[in-house]
Amino acid sequence: MSFKDTIKAQRHNIRDYGMYVAFVMIVVFFTITTKGLFISSRNIGNLVNATSYIAVLAVGMTLVIVIRHIDLSVGYLAGALGAVAAIALKYWLLPLYATIPMVLALGIVAGLVTAFLVAQMGIPAFVATLAGWLFYQGLLQLVTRSTGTIVIENETFNALGNGFIPDFRGLEILPGVHKVTLLLGLVAIVLFIANEINNRRKTLAYDFEVLPMNMFILKLVFVSLVIGGITWVMAGYQGLSWAAVILIVVVLAYSYITTRTVVGRHIYAVGGNPEAAELNGISVRKITFLVFGSMGLLTALAGILYASWLRSATTIAGRGMELDAIAAAFVGGAAVAGGVGKVTGSILGALVMASLTNGMNLLGWDISIQYMVRALVLAAAVVFDVATRRMAK
Amino acid sequence: MTETTAVVEMRNIKKHFAAVEALRGVDLELRHNEVLGLVGDNAAGKSTLMKVLSGAYIPDEGEILIEGEKVHMANPLDARRLGIEMVYQDLALANNLDVTGNVFLGREAVSIELGPLGVMDNHRMEQEAQRLLSRLKIAIPSVRLLVERLSGGQRQAVAIARATAFDSKVIIMDEPTAALSVAAISQVLDLVRELKAQGASIIIISHRLEDIYGVSDRLVVLRQGRKVHDCPVVGDLDEFRERVVAYMIGARDDFANAAVG
Ligand SMILES: Nc1ncnc2c1ncn2[C@@H]1O[C@H](COP(=O)(O)OP(=O)(O)OP(=O)(O)O)[C@@H](O)[C@H]1O
Ligand SMILES: [Mg+2]
Repeated sequence: MSFKDTIKAQRHNIRDYGMYVAFVMIVVFFTITTKGLFISSRNIGNLVNATSYIAVLAVGMTLVIVIRHIDLSVGYLAGALGAVAAIALKYWLLPLYATIPMVLALGIVAGLVTAFLVAQMGIPAFVATLAGWLFYQGLLQLVTRSTGTIVIENETFNALGNGFIPDFRGLEILPGVHKVTLLLGLVAIVLFIANEINNRRKTLAYDFEVLPMNMFILKLVFVSLVIGGITWVMAGYQGLSWAAVILIVVVLAYSYITTRTVVGRHIYAVGGNPEAAELNGISVRKITFLVFGSMGLLTALAGILYASWLRSATTIAGRGMELDAIAAAFVGGAAVAGGVGKVTGSILGALVMASLTNGMNLLGWDISIQYMVRALVLAAAVVFDVATRRMAK
Repeated sequence: MTETTAVVEMRNIKKHFAAVEALRGVDLELRHNEVLGLVGDNAAGKSTLMKVLSGAYIPDEGEILIEGEKVHMANPLDARRLGIEMVYQDLALANNLDVTGNVFLGREAVSIELGPLGVMDNHRMEQEAQRLLSRLKIAIPSVRLLVERLSGGQRQAVAIARATAFDSKVIIMDEPTAALSVAAISQVLDLVRELKAQGASIIIISHRLEDIYGVSDRLVVLRQGRKVHDCPVVGDLDEFRERVVAYMIGARDDFANAAVG
């Protein structure tokens, strides 16, 4: 197969590759213009922590968008749940191991309430969650009214959004580099390569077409370099943050569930054609409850990460987060019409948007310009999306 | 079970949508290893009747017996469990999934059994999908293609492959030849014969009377939500066509008295 044929065969993946290329271009651009400040270990560490809660929301939002809905309530819900966590720790004196499960459970309940309104009462998600947006905004103000900003003093809690994983003690090699992070990066690369080779072997055994060998090796090298590079940069500061660990776990779990399991397939089927799904024995109602329930769970997690990152719960926590999460999902390739959107795409979308903000901040660009640049990127991503999809037909 | 019990017996099925009386008390019998042709003008109620049988609609009145046993079907899953499959007129495909995903929709093969969290066995499903499709001889380049990229005939083939994937005893095909070329139509009709040879009982809806004539053992004509004709397929094609059209347009009606009573 010639290179041209390869490109042709892969054209339905152009959307994905385009995202990676755009991301790399943004990184390179800001690295050059900030004279390396952008790619510095410290900045990347902060960037990841500041993106984690949006990225977690974006994962949940992707599935909501895939099943043709939207959730506008998650920003203030995250804020309100963060405040509940702060109050539980500070005033109710609940231990951390009770507070976190409680907040996560409340998140699920809130998600199921939304699902009830949407799936059972037939209220359009836009309206139902707009009501939620108002309601949780009120709730947040109510619970923080007497206290104002609640400062959280539980250091374990605060470590979730600010802390880093521990390193080996007393190792003399590579001073100033976080060894555990390096090791984890190495493990990730090995697992990735093993998995790819295994998949390729299986696919060949069943006589299905695979990437030509040179492209395959190129892909392995590229991804390994990216993982290696990120690992090296992060290891240069304080290593992997807990927020990054949580985000990675969420992403791995959700991409596994959405791409490999039966329920993941059913979620996409409902998004693609709800009537067909129903005729094939898939309950659209159950899937709707599941997806909004998971959105609630992830919202609670995002609320915890955010409160922890700020070491406090504020009266306006969560404002606008829902829109950032929605933007991340659309930049990452989700389609308004439903049925389309990947967890990994949305994470990349969140990273792209956060990198833009971060880079422009470092360059000292005016906030008004920043908004407009992000608007252009969002629009460009969707235009690219529509164009590649039309081309693929 | 004996050959004299019908596989499917529908009795006095009634179904209305708002003010529309789609079915006004239809009796229908499908015998073992029989191909039954179901015809009628547009809006006669053919699809509605078959959707009642596939569990997609719940009838207002009437009963359904499968191999002599009265059954209640609340959803398509119930019908599937009883061995009834249907190729829907609008095909019921998810455009965002690939061919394999659609063939196995709702019945994914798993390598690790964990209920909804079961891990899908993609290779097994792909192989099986390929086998089912090659039987249809409608070329689809890859079972990994998204269904939105397929032609009308290819989409039809995917829907048929799904209905024939699980060796069901009753297969309903609602206009399976509607989007097909002449060559592809004869493939589908051959498949109907083959399914029959394998022991399935089949109901086929079509507006192409020559197709019905070619494969059916018996014919039922619906008109305005009622059965007006129920006879074995006999005679030559021209005579058959003339007779069927007479029933379809209301010039003849074998059950006129029953309707009044
Ligand atoms: N889901 C529905 N909601 C409302 N009305 C319906 C619905 N399904 C069918 N009908 C009505 O019931 C009547 C019978 O429709 P049906 O689809 O069974 O006809 P048909 O014989 O299959 O026609 P065609 O040959 O055009 O497919 C029509 O008047 C139709 O408008
Ligand atoms: Mg019809």
